[in-house]
Amino acid sequence: MAEHVILFTGPMGAGKTTAIQSLSEIDVVRTEANNSERHIVDKATTTVALDYGEILVGSEEKVRLYGIPGQKRFNFMWTILKKRAKGMILLVNADAPDPLAELTFFLDEFRVLYDRGGVVIGVTRADVMAGPTLAEIYEALERTNPGLVIPVFTVDPRERDQMQNLLLTLVVNIEMRAAFGMPSVAGSR
Amino acid sequence: MSTGLHLKPDVVEAASTLLGEMKAAASSLSYAALLTDDGFDVARYPVKSDGERFAGMASSMQALGDAVAHELSIGDSEYIIIASGKGHVVQLRVPGQELVLSALFDNDATVGHALAVTRSFAQKAADLLA
Repeated sequence: MAEHVILFTGPMGAGKTTAIQSLSEIDVVRTEANNSERHIVDKATTTVALDYGEILVGSEEKVRLYGIPGQKRFNFMWTILKKRAKGMILLVNADAPDPLAELTFFLDEFRVLYDRGGVVIGVTRADVMAGPTLAEIYEALERTNPGLVIPVFTVDPRERDQMQNLLLTLVVNIEMRAAFGMPSVAGSR
Repeated sequence: MSTGLHLKPDVVEAASTLLGEMKAAASSLSYAALLTDDGFDVARYPVKSDGERFAGMASSMQALGDAVAHELSIGDSEYIIIASGKGHVVQLRVPGQELVLSALFDNDATVGHALAVTRSFAQKAADLLA
């Protein structure tokens, strides 16, 4: 059975835990603690180590879904989880103070996953605040990481179908690169 | 909206004093930290050490311990021990608080003694904050 390890990254409040819960076919392993930073992100709990779920893609491919804690003080967990992953779903909430800065920060932090397999971006909470346009996101990507081929979606992490689209796009991307030995950095989008 | 315990000066001061008392009670104690469940440093011994990174790690470890206990259906995790050649780390929750006490003892202390001291001071912390 083929296996993929996918990392869900992005800032606190982007919807990583929710996305994994929407997708996982097993009980999600969660490591939540009460959130002391409600003055910054108003949610009751926050992930402090990892989330873990699993889903079968087709009948033979198991995808292991790991979620990181979004706060920088847990970056030792980023280092641990980064080692085992082959691709990344980067979620950024449109109502973050500076979504484009968050996006480029996490892309830089986990750039090795683009090189190793692939990255897909999901913009969340666009129903709460419009956030950056697709053109602004691609402009930011081109400016900070020229030449990268990264699909961008607007998604609701609570919606399994939407998250499946994101995940399948990433898996296909990873497999296509592996099958054709494509370079990690393409010249055109 | 509640404020994190690490942001309350009276809690930070009381926690610092308590960790000083813990060192006085156990000479084999070489490092101790009180931290919030979500990884913020509240107080540490020695005071001048940098506690931020360790607080994050200790809270992750606590949460992973809870997740393992839940996965194996053995109830709540009561304490975590890391034993190594140069000492042991004992860590447990402060009863009734969103706080964790994590302590490093050198090998002059047995694991049993280290656990007893840490338990006792976790209870003192609980009494102090009740």
